[in-house]
Amino acid sequence: MNHQWTDRLSEYLDGELMSAERDALETHLAGCAHCRDTLAELRAVVARAQSLENRAPAADLWPEIHARLTVRRRFSLTVSQLLAASIALVVLSGGGVWLALRDGSGTSDPTMAAFPQLVAPAGTPVAWRARTDMAVAQLEETLAQNESRLDTATVRVVRQNLGIIDRAIEKAQRALQADPGSAYLNLHLAQTMRRKIELLRRANALAVAES
Amino acid sequence: MPRQVLEADVALAASGDADAFERLYRAHSARVHSLVRRMLDGDEADDVTQDVFIRAWQKLGTFRGESAFGTWLHRLTVNVVLARRKSVGVERGRFITDDQPLERATGRRETVELSMDFEEALARLPDGARQVFVLHDVEGYRHEEIARMLGVVPGTSKSQLHHARMALRRYLDR
Repeated sequence: MNHQWTDRLSEYLDGELMSAERDALETHLAGCAHCRDTLAELRAVVARAQSLENRAPAADLWPEIHARLTVRRRFSLTVSQLLAASIALVVLSGGGVWLALRDGSGTSDPTMAAFPQLVAPAGTPVAWRARTDMAVAQLEETLAQNESRLDTATVRVVRQNLGIIDRAIEKAQRALQADPGSAYLNLHLAQTMRRKIELLRRANALAVAES
Repeated sequence: MPRQVLEADVALAASGDADAFERLYRAHSARVHSLVRRMLDGDEADDVTQDVFIRAWQKLGTFRGESAFGTWLHRLTVNVVLARRKSVGVERGRFITDDQPLERATGRRETVELSMDFEEALARLPDGARQVFVLHDVEGYRHEEIARMLGVVPGTSKSQLHHARMALRRYLDR
């Protein structure tokens, strides 16, 4: 086998050799059965490639696609709106944790000095939970509207993690029903809610980056 | 499906009609999924096909009708696949350096030869060589276009195509 020519057979087949090279290769082919056979095989590979049949996916992907089309034209937040909403909700979540921990004393916390609106009284665990639930719901709605900007693998990971967090929240809430005054359980629930908000915020930020 | 019907569905889908977009999905999903499956690992094909149609829905407003919708969607598919390739980062031995890439992939020549059909053999080529082969021989792109898309020189595209063809010769009848 003459590798010098064998390696040029595809270019010859595709009509990409200069005329002098093509003439030289054709001279070689006339006397080399091996290269003629190889050329015939390469020609058959090209024909096979062009005759490959398309096959529909085994599973119907439309329901998942349709679910993610969402309301492209009905509702669309601007980038700055999305980021502002995400940041505000994280701050609100942080305030919720702080309010849950401050034990109703009204003691000021230097780390919250930049957010005086969160240091307002009336911060009972019930109140911050109501506000945090509302914030989570809003952030979830925002993500639902913008989820189509994320790729499928990312959506799956986000959903899996949200599922894990939701199960943890549910457990904490059940435990709190039995022991409402537990500082540990209140803190645990607040931290878990914060994780959820942070995940939603990150997913929204990613959606913004992908848009 | 008649071309005029598809064109009407493209216009309807661009205005937000999800039913029309479903008809476009039904008409084009096999071609898109097959292209994705041949360019990437098979287990990614469903996810990436979804991404292609979601991206198409988002970008339908930019479709000007200068080419057929199928051509536009095909190019979009290639772009999504190549973006996926970049985002995943690690590729399986990207290019072929000899004529036995399939045997090296498994280390069991006889078993491989006996069990694989042409599409399976294609799927086992190193990623870069497989993508060159699919883009050139299956999809009809030219080496200059492929080189631009993959970020290589045309000579690399040509040599990888040749190696891929040489490797696939023995799977012609399967």
